[in-house]
Amino acid sequence: MSSEFEISKRITIGQYVPTGSFIHRLDPRVKVFAFTILVLAIALNTSYIGNTIGLVLSLYLFWVSKIPIRYGLSGIIPAIPFIVILAVLQLLFQGQLFSHGKVYVDYGFILITSESIRLVVVSAVRFVEIIFLSSVLTLATSTTELTHSIQSLLSPLKKIKFPVHEISLITTIAIRFVPTFAIEMEKMMKAQASRGADFGTGGWWRIIQRTKETFPIIIPLFNIALSRAEDLILAMESRCYTPGGERSSYTTYQIAAKDYLALVTGLLFAILLFAYPFPI
Amino acid sequence: MAGRPIIEIENLSHTYMKGTPMEHVALKGANLFVEEGECVAIIGHTGSGKSTLIQHFNGLMRPESGKVLIDGEDLSNKKVNLKTLRQKVGLVFQNPEDQIFEKIIGDDIAYGPFKLGLPLKEVRERVKWAMSVVGLDFEGMIDRQTFALSGGQKRKVALAGILALKPKILVLDEPTAGLDPRSRNELLDNIKRLNKEEKLTVIFVSHNMEEVALLADRVYVMADGTDVLNGTPKEIFTDKEKLQRYHIGTPESVQVLYRLTDLGYEVKTDAFSITEAANEIIKVLACKKECSKHVQRI
Amino acid sequence: MKKTLTVRDIVIAGVLGAVAILLGVTRLGYIPVPTAAGNATIMHIPAIIGGIMQGPVVGLIVGAIFGISSFLNATVPLFKDPMVAILPRLFIGVVAWLVYVGLRRRNEYVAIAVSAFIGTLTNTVLVLVMAVIRNYFTVGVAWTVGITNGIPEAIVGTIITLAVVLAWKQIGKNQKSKISKDM
Repeated sequence: MSSEFEISKRITIGQYVPTGSFIHRLDPRVKVFAFTILVLAIALNTSYIGNTIGLVLSLYLFWVSKIPIRYGLSGIIPAIPFIVILAVLQLLFQGQLFSHGKVYVDYGFILITSESIRLVVVSAVRFVEIIFLSSVLTLATSTTELTHSIQSLLSPLKKIKFPVHEISLITTIAIRFVPTFAIEMEKMMKAQASRGADFGTGGWWRIIQRTKETFPIIIPLFNIALSRAEDLILAMESRCYTPGGERSSYTTYQIAAKDYLALVTGLLFAILLFAYPFPI
Repeated sequence: MAGRPIIEIENLSHTYMKGTPMEHVALKGANLFVEEGECVAIIGHTGSGKSTLIQHFNGLMRPESGKVLIDGEDLSNKKVNLKTLRQKVGLVFQNPEDQIFEKIIGDDIAYGPFKLGLPLKEVRERVKWAMSVVGLDFEGMIDRQTFALSGGQKRKVALAGILALKPKILVLDEPTAGLDPRSRNELLDNIKRLNKEEKLTVIFVSHNMEEVALLADRVYVMADGTDVLNGTPKEIFTDKEKLQRYHIGTPESVQVLYRLTDLGYEVKTDAFSITEAANEIIKVLACKKECSKHVQRI
Repeated sequence: MKKTLTVRDIVIAGVLGAVAILLGVTRLGYIPVPTAAGNATIMHIPAIIGGIMQGPVVGLIVGAIFGISSFLNATVPLFKDPMVAILPRLFIGVVAWLVYVGLRRRNEYVAIAVSAFIGTLTNTVLVLVMAVIRNYFTVGVAWTVGITNGIPEAIVGTIITLAVVLAWKQIGKNQKSKISKDM
């Protein structure tokens, strides 16, 4: 009960869990790049063998990162009902699109084929793989490292006038302000509750009323955000900040042999999953 | 001040995020007693638990351990009607102008009374009363747009929004922070009038010792999640040893008087209201002519 | 990119991105109204506002931040797929801007409202299209979700965007307070 309003203390963004593992010590640029291509390769792979490889790999990486397994499981267990619902939906309704496989059940509109079963299994396994992979990345890399590496990975795009530095500054500002706004939002919820606000009183079918009930929180939230923005704009402009200027960085990264090793391994797996014609 | 107790807090503790690595003890064994009609100030450093404490007054937080009695009602009882409680205890947060969300001043002040389900006529009466108390002209301001107001006026609107609930107890968290001197004085006058004329029990958190000296009947000093000292401003601000132990600032008037005593002048150090202090200084100045020999010796 | 981003673009994109992330990680991003999902999401609204206030590039960036945050926070298979969680979100702010610019000269209110409505539908429709392409939903399921979820969500999105933008831009008709005249 007393935690009704305690959002600012509960939200976590970039839940860095320092364990000092091999993965933690990797160059963040390598990490971000390798994980991105792996996630994409897994997202596009539809074979049983490919996804088994992906599953083993992601569990292995999780193990190497020495992060307690509950962090990974906490992303999966609440999703089980959704996975089941999705599986049932896919099994019942997607068969018609996958009629090219071996037919197991053909009853009325229900058509279950080897291919529709593949879809169900692969969707579920892929979810688990991506949960583990993305948790390894976000739990083993601090948000500063993440923004840094996004900036340096995008830097080749400067050649085509892509605003790399600006994008990374935007990311930094966004991450920086989440806790601030969370505190403001919590204060706002308490302040409005103190003058009698309550949410979800109108019948749930009354869309407009329900929406208006959020005004006491949402409007001040945006107002606070935008007026903070005005302050920041003024502060930056009065210090002659010019977008696009060349800047040096406080932290610099040195790619070591272990980073090359990780990079090559990541690339190889990604290419394997993406391009190899697995038999099943 | 022999009123009936309206807030009784005994041995109250609160820990945020209990059982996680981010566990943080905000209150441990805090006590606070306020009598009906009193004006009580709570002072203490950032992180001493002031904000957590005042959020217990209107049930935003429930007692984790310890007792919280508000106007005789025990808040550890789950059945307490929070709506009635929050109507009874008006809580004004820091920078309350942020909470204004309606376009029209009248609508924003009327938000609380409407939420209480009051009829339009009653709402109108309350808004009128609340606006007059904070010094906003009802006829002239009611249809104005909220965004066009100055900071001080916005704070008046926000305060009126709470007053329109007709609370018995008014709780303010750093009410004058960030206001210009003129708005600050107006607001202090309003708080004083609410306490003295409208008979509201007032509790306020402040870092400004002049304000505390000016308004409060009694002062509570918080440190490390508990109340370490309480008494009248005179008792608190003249206890030099404890002031230093808890790093409490003193009103500038008191600082001047202390410095005068250190220089060997005989002044009353408990004369901390601006006028009293001024009188003491005038006495010194008057004496300076007569006892110039005494001064020269120093 | 046709022009460099200004300081204003950068900062507004940043804070709106922060609001999008915040709405995504708290329950405030969902408004419980009758939809197939049980509630309407309003996390995409910063992207719409970004498009309306600062143009397509900011709209796109805020959309991307929303998409990535929704991908990283996803608890359901559908949104743990970057093709569904991120790609469609890039278009929300851009479409909102196109609509807003197209209608602005006629009427500011109408422009904001329609832009929010279409912007929200862009989110719903593109997510569903990707869900179908990626074989999570059949076309039939997608249509059902689209109608039961999309319409209420678009209404909610329009109301909130309109309220926020009008409050911020400080435009308002000379209204009277609800309590200004007796009965």
